[in-house]
Amino acid sequence: MTPSDYAKAVAGFWTAQGQAFLKAQRQLGKALAEGATAMASGTLPSMPEMPTDLSASVADLATAGQSVMEMWSAATAMCGKLATTFPTADGGDATVEATFRKMIDPRSWMASTGEIDEVLGRMADAPRFADLWEVERRYARVVQAWMNVRRRGLEHSVVVLEAWLQAGRRFAEDMAGRAGADAPDAKATLALWTETANRQLLETQRSEPFLATQAAMIRASTELRLAQQELVEHFGRQYGFPTRTELDDVHRTVTELRREIRAMRRAQQLPPSATPPAASTGQPPATQSVRRQKTKRKGTR
Amino acid sequence: MAKVQTSAANAVSEAAKLGTKMLTGGRLLQAMRDVDVEIATTPKDLVWRQDKVSLFHYRPLAEKRIGVPVLICYGLVGRWTMTDLQEDRSLVRNLLNLGIDLYVVDWGNPSRADRYLTLDDYILGYLDGCVAEIANRAGVKRVNLLGVCEGGVFTTAFAALEPARINTLTLTITPIDFHADTVEDRPGHGFINIWTRSISAEDVDRFIDANGNLPGEFMGAIFNQMSPIRSLLKYNLDLLEIADDETRLLNWLRMEKWIADRPDHPGEAAKQWLKDLYQQNKLVRNEWELEGRLVDLGNIRMPVLNVYAKDDHIIPPATSRALGPKVGSSEYTELALAGGHIGVFVGGRSQALFAPAVASFLERHDNSRG
Repeated sequence: MTPSDYAKAVAGFWTAQGQAFLKAQRQLGKALAEGATAMASGTLPSMPEMPTDLSASVADLATAGQSVMEMWSAATAMCGKLATTFPTADGGDATVEATFRKMIDPRSWMASTGEIDEVLGRMADAPRFADLWEVERRYARVVQAWMNVRRRGLEHSVVVLEAWLQAGRRFAEDMAGRAGADAPDAKATLALWTETANRQLLETQRSEPFLATQAAMIRASTELRLAQQELVEHFGRQYGFPTRTELDDVHRTVTELRREIRAMRRAQQLPPSATPPAASTGQPPATQSVRRQKTKRKGTR
Repeated sequence: MAKVQTSAANAVSEAAKLGTKMLTGGRLLQAMRDVDVEIATTPKDLVWRQDKVSLFHYRPLAEKRIGVPVLICYGLVGRWTMTDLQEDRSLVRNLLNLGIDLYVVDWGNPSRADRYLTLDDYILGYLDGCVAEIANRAGVKRVNLLGVCEGGVFTTAFAALEPARINTLTLTITPIDFHADTVEDRPGHGFINIWTRSISAEDVDRFIDANGNLPGEFMGAIFNQMSPIRSLLKYNLDLLEIADDETRLLNWLRMEKWIADRPDHPGEAAKQWLKDLYQQNKLVRNEWELEGRLVDLGNIRMPVLNVYAKDDHIIPPATSRALGPKVGSSEYTELALAGGHIGVFVGGRSQALFAPAVASFLERHDNSRG
């Protein structure tokens, strides 16, 4: 595949994915907004304390999605430009070349910087709920929180893509200055991109927009998880399953009891200044101490 | 843009080399078993256990030169096994070979059931228990503490609260002033300090409430953010570079094993770590309280050896060195080692410098009769 073909393929992929994503977001938002309106007008069973601002969330999400699309378009153009800078190799440096192409692909960039988003997403997205009409209010909160997670994720992606574009511009300028006999070979090209991209990303990570959007993303995913837990606890109470809150209560109690036992043991010990020298029993020290500990534990039961 | 055209002969030669390297690497990986990449293999015995916390005593590798035993105390982020990664890169072995009586505490694998454990529990509960057990076994009144990173904060606090029970305090890559990352303000350094200040105390509380603990996986992602592009290269070019070198490949795999072992940080303790220390910087201000007792660094009157890494991007040197003016000890020494956070333990140059410096420090202050 030539650099040009590669760039076209990446561009095609991004455009198709981006449009499909945006379309899906709009359809989901429309359906949710219509559902909320219908319920509020009494067409469907009423939903006490139903969030009323789903439509606003949909609009915010669409705006965030549009911003990402615009950045993707710019990144697509930049990717094509960067792909043409790589020295042509006849086979020897295929791995380096493949790595370079992977690394100038903004999807790789987004994947590396979005690791926290992925981790949070896995933590937040674990349970899935299908029936809107069983637990309306709680489910709607989950949906609202989910939309907020996506919106914050997109807003953060814009900041990351901006950084990628800036890195691409720096790299292209640097390569232009090394044309002709000074043109670097494949490994040097990859090293230059690595250095340029790393520097740019580290600068970006300390910037206010990056930190603010990342904090908002963490906050949103936390709220989603809490909303999901509330929903699950509702089910748990209905069907008599122990809930997270109940388990936490038990764990808190156990921790406090252990703390009290430790304090009592400590109070029973002699003060440090009066600690006697270890008695020589002729037994291997390790065995002796572990045995002593086991005996203590038995005594506390 | 000019293109570099490699000659056909050169290309064939390069391709052949690459193929051989990949083939050799593939064979090496196929032949390796988990036992080949075992870490923390220095022989030791379990001598004390409470809840999930275990205290181990290392078997001696040389004649004892220093009577007062040393307790290695790692933190709850990562695991102590870094101090004994492999035979030729092991602080533990190096210390044992210098005749030091050595213990290590393992905090276990905290689960959601441990979310209410606090730093008070770890420092004045479990660490206190370890110190008492070691003193009892060795027949001494005071023991030597060697704290690492968050574990260094544990030992610092314990030494400040229980100075009569500590003979010397050695700290390694330990943050004391959590806002001193701004002193040098080097790009790529101190990101955790910046990141924790970018979120609110309420964010921390809500995050822990939602997740119970601070997931090890999450902290791993934060660490990866500190070297973002290196992480991209790690499993392709970096691995390929060492694929046909068995020794380097094994070293790499052992490090991977350590990195993958990321215990969750108990939730309430994480709140204290992130809010009291990273955000509010209470330790260096002498405002931190454990079980209602103020941690006053001025109470640290025993000899202190503070070891830091010059290029530590996780714990910038200034955050460690802030301890000097705060301690009440008349003997405070710093040891600056080349390299980064982990390089202190596994770096080639550190092997010849770190343990001998610690042994010399301990020997100068050894009073086996307590």
